[in-house]
Amino acid sequence: MMSSAPDPKSSGNSADTTQSWAGMVQRIQANDPSGMEELYGIFTTGIRFYLCRQLGPQDLDDKVHDAFLTIAQSIRRGDLREPERLMGYVRTVVRRQVAGYIGTAVEARRNFVDADHTPILRDRKPDPERTAIEEQNTALAMRVLNTLPRRDREVLVRFYLQEQSPGQICRDMRLTATQFRLTKSRAKARFTELGQARFARRIGFTASMEARRRGSAPAQAS
Amino acid sequence: MAISLGPHLDAETAEKYSLEQLSARKAAEIEGHLLICGPCREAVAASDAYVAAMREAAANIRKTEQNAMPHRRVATR
Repeated sequence: MMSSAPDPKSSGNSADTTQSWAGMVQRIQANDPSGMEELYGIFTTGIRFYLCRQLGPQDLDDKVHDAFLTIAQSIRRGDLREPERLMGYVRTVVRRQVAGYIGTAVEARRNFVDADHTPILRDRKPDPERTAIEEQNTALAMRVLNTLPRRDREVLVRFYLQEQSPGQICRDMRLTATQFRLTKSRAKARFTELGQARFARRIGFTASMEARRRGSAPAQAS
Repeated sequence: MAISLGPHLDAETAEKYSLEQLSARKAAEIEGHLLICGPCREAVAASDAYVAAMREAAANIRKTEQNAMPHRRVATR
């Protein structure tokens, strides 16, 4: 289910949208650079997000560039017959691109023993910042789970780790759907609260360090 | 340029998307929306992080519980 919260940037008028997509598509087909600029402006962050989520941050700029190249070429060839379907079309192109990368990686791994070099399997060192954030998040989640009553913890372990359906959990543990939802939402609220507190502490610490640095600077100068 | 973003994701849908519990059709609809909606991308990123953290923490807790029950370990051997 999706909420219908209005977006300030959205016109909400599908006729406007259709016209806008059509205008942009026409400009891309006519090799008008403003068409590509607009396409890039609208989709670049979303494509980057999708590719990063599916494939990780390696070579992201190149992958985004490849995606735009493919989209622009196929629009110019006339593959997009209904401009109002541009959003779905972009998604399909990017999805195929992801499938292509995964296929190539699988193939490269299969041939790894025989190959002299496999460019797709480059050094995948974990990003230290990302790893640190993930560890902190896990520590917060551990705190949340450890402070919950045993029964609530069991509900969350079954749901997130064992991937049991809400229906099964409710049946097995004799819970109502509301009790299940409440257990989940309370845990999430606690996680968010702890995360915000951690963030505030970090900001406070940075601010106090900054104040101390500023305060001590004149003394050092004199 | 006037673009209709369509309806935003609610928290439950974002979590289902993170957990890959949506139908292919629904996931496709959401992915289209995420291409052009920044606030929903943020919601999904937060949901991804939460789900990953809960999975990891739940796995740690299960391991600790199993280690604390030696009779179970013997039984599963």
